[in-house]
Amino acid sequence: MANDGKPVAARRGMLGLLGAAAAAAPAAAIDPNGNRGDLPNRPESEAEKRRPRYRETDHVRAFYRTNRS
Amino acid sequence: MARLVFLCDSERCIECNACVTACKNEHEVPWGINRRRVVTINDGRPGERSISMACMHCTDAPCAAVCPVSCFYGTEDQLVLHDKDLCIGCGYCFYACPFGAPQYPRVGNFGGRGRMDKCTYCAGGPQQDNTPSEYVQYGSNRIAEGKLPLCAEMCSTKALLAGDQAIIADIYRERVQKRGFGSGAWGWRTAYRTTLEV
Repeated sequence: MANDGKPVAARRGMLGLLGAAAAAAPAAAIDPNGNRGDLPNRPESEAEKRRPRYRETDHVRAFYRTNRS
Repeated sequence: MARLVFLCDSERCIECNACVTACKNEHEVPWGINRRRVVTINDGRPGERSISMACMHCTDAPCAAVCPVSCFYGTEDQLVLHDKDLCIGCGYCFYACPFGAPQYPRVGNFGGRGRMDKCTYCAGGPQQDNTPSEYVQYGSNRIAEGKLPLCAEMCSTKALLAGDQAIIADIYRERVQKRGFGSGAWGWRTAYRTTLEV
């Protein structure tokens, strides 16, 4: 198995894929310097910025309920 | 109108750091920054207590008071958010914050520190909700999805509470009445100018 080279090459291919995934991952993370990169600027208006964001959904009510016990 | 708060019940916190990990993972916070951290007092001695700490979204926030470019703004439900497009990285907010919440990710040439990063209460920032631009600058926006901050939702001992102040105070009061003691709502006097009567 070790002599024909094919399984070794397959394993190395997998490692290459993992490396590519690791290199791509930081692109999705928060930019350390707070920039947007090439992403479009989609600012909220002054009223949108300050609007109330909280909604008491079923999800939120379930959180409150489970914390009471 | 709801007033959103955090409350850490230090009688329940076991310093597992799940809140810290959940936050870092949810928002993909870069190396060197923690939006939330766990502080332990009297470590290894009788009376040891741990407190999970992040931006408390203060009433009359000192970070906003000292910011020279007014990059902080308050929402109607009293979250203190910041605009990274305005921030100049001067560091005043870091010194003003009683909880040490604002963090500076990098030190570059001539001491430039990029833009401050802090807890957003999982509510994003001044970009349109749940857009890639919002995510890359501020992290995920769970509040827009009708959820609460992941740190509180992940807490296995239910030590960290988040939500409407009136309901959170009720939950804490019920706990103290049941178990007969409590360390108080840590940070509430400083952050919200109120204490929790039990």
